Amino acid sequence: MKAKIQVVLCKCCSEVPALLNTDRLAMLATDADMVVSVKTVDAICDGKNLAGVVGEAKEKEVDRAVVLACHKKDVSPALAKAYKRAGVNEFMVEIVNLREEVVLPHIGEPERAQTKAETMLRAALVRAVMLKPLERLTEGMKTNNVVIIGAGVAGQAAARAAARTGAHTVILEKTGKSMKAPGVILTHCQLIGAKGWTGNYTLKIKAGEKVEELGAAAIIVATGGGWTELMGPLAKAVKDAVPLYKLYERMQSNDLPKGTVVVVDTPDPAGKSLRVQDYAWDDTLETVIELKKKAPSTQIYVVFQEMRAFGLDELAYKEAADLGIRFIRYDKAGAPRIDPKAPTRLAVKDFAQGEVLNIQFGTLVFASIPPNKDNQAIADALRIPMSVDGSVRRGSIQRGPVETVRPGIYVCGSALFPKSRALAEQEGETAGSMAGEFVKNGKIAYGGSVAEVEQEKCSACLTCIRTCPYEAPFIGKATKAEIRTQLCQGCGMCVGICPSKAIELHHFTDDQIMGQARSLLGGDF
Amino acid sequence: MAEKKPKVIGFICAGHGMEAAVLSARTGKQHDASVRLVEVPCAGRVDGIHLLKAFEDGADAVFVFGCLEKNCFYDTGSIEGRKRVGYVKQMLDEAGIEKERIEMFNAASSNAWMFPQAVEKMVETARRLGPIEKGGEGQ
Repeated sequence: MKAKIQVVLCKCCSEVPALLNTDRLAMLATDADMVVSVKTVDAICDGKNLAGVVGEAKEKEVDRAVVLACHKKDVSPALAKAYKRAGVNEFMVEIVNLREEVVLPHIGEPERAQTKAETMLRAALVRAVMLKPLERLTEGMKTNNVVIIGAGVAGQAAARAAARTGAHTVILEKTGKSMKAPGVILTHCQLIGAKGWTGNYTLKIKAGEKVEELGAAAIIVATGGGWTELMGPLAKAVKDAVPLYKLYERMQSNDLPKGTVVVVDTPDPAGKSLRVQDYAWDDTLETVIELKKKAPSTQIYVVFQEMRAFGLDELAYKEAADLGIRFIRYDKAGAPRIDPKAPTRLAVKDFAQGEVLNIQFGTLVFASIPPNKDNQAIADALRIPMSVDGSVRRGSIQRGPVETVRPGIYVCGSALFPKSRALAEQEGETAGSMAGEFVKNGKIAYGGSVAEVEQEKCSACLTCIRTCPYEAPFIGKATKAEIRTQLCQGCGMCVGICPSKAIELHHFTDDQIMGQARSLLGGDF
Repeated sequence: MAEKKPKVIGFICAGHGMEAAVLSARTGKQHDASVRLVEVPCAGRVDGIHLLKAFEDGADAVFVFGCLEKNCFYDTGSIEGRKRVGYVKQMLDEAGIEKERIEMFNAASSNAWMFPQAVEKMVETARRLGPIEKGGEGQ
């Protein structure tokens, strides 16, 4: 069957008619093969214009469209919805970004811009003919469980937030600590394995001696920080250092530290393995100020590499300085050292003055709590990547600060990097409500532009399995690779790397990409 | 006769790469018109054959524009893309074609200045080296 293409020209932003000759573009489109309808509109995002376009598409029974407008992500959702009414599949609409690729960056060269736009239109027509309709599928979630690993500050906040959206929360806690949180709380439980995919995970849980299974629609990793002792060279010299949160707990029961107090930022200041990403600076300031107020005669030194108090907590620096707390900044070269022969003397090179200071101390406190040692086991079970310093890695700091690369698995609190209680709670709330909303949907959408293996060509070399960051390919019953559509994100990494060229990515096939490239290179501008 | 215009083609990832290019246009940055863009879902989708075919079809310079390697939309996609580019570089070298004709660039979506820079570099390379000389014993 011959394709019927509709070409839509959007004159929006007023640069298009001024720089480009829309009539020439429209004429080119009219003369092209298989084009049955050409529409020039003032703005495609305007509802009336779009309705007119779609009305004509319906009338002429077009099955694909080429839209010359602006950035794909801006116009694509509205266009897909509108064209659906005209019976055009959403993957059959090819959008050419005239505004950002031609009009805005080539204002001074109208002739070249015109030729470029014409070439891009020709290339889009070539690509449009090769497009194939694709379907998006949905799969229901079997449970509405949000499983939270860890019942710390972040975990409890996440449980509360998730429960508010109507999800059923299950908290897994390794120790037997008691807490108040909605939903089911399983103490003395550990995650040992997981299978399934987004929305439909089955977790293997070790509860005491028994191993049980638990269905989960979304998972929140809130394992928090874990170290309670010093690391590296300092650990050899000092045996009785306390973490900051322990000091705070002791202060609450009026068990004040003896002698001069030195607060260092991390348990291993000179270490390479542990970067100072962020450190519980708010908590440090809060604790030392409270300590100084309780025991004004105590000398307090805060030894730090970088300072990051959150928002208005910056004001606490001044308060602390006014109270007589000393701040000493160091860098990696002058990291605090303690001679094992004199375990009560800390030597640190002041970064500002360049002098080595020797401090006789009674109590050594470390503020930052490195990530939990159990993170590795949990990350292995859930198959999510880790950072070099032993914390769980998030997918992208801009797009999802509490998301991992796997959809449906969230991470919050000190499992990411050491942070203050308040920040951990906020992150927990975010992760909880995101997981709750995710579960509330009740179903996951998948399919569309995904990869597919041509079984005859596959030689089961496992290259795709090793390459895919989402673990979508697997070896099926016929000992050939298959792609689990629910997991495929449509990046196409396996397609290029397949030595047998057995995998094809729908909507971005080799022919489509090379055809477009060839016709783009055909134009002379 | 006017000087022959260089033909530069860029395979640009739909994640951070395209966002950076769009942002550069929106912030009013200008770049040479001789660049053509092919949008791919991820820099890892780019195959050696796409790059080599582009040269065959008349491109003077080819580039791949992807996300930052540590902040890739698809986790490891731009690392895969760099591998493919390296592979094609080697093949060009063996075929006696200058390997500067192909390059990989990385940008975050907010790095609007990266795209015009990349285009400028590739267009400059294409101008300097001129079209690929075809012919020789095989033809």
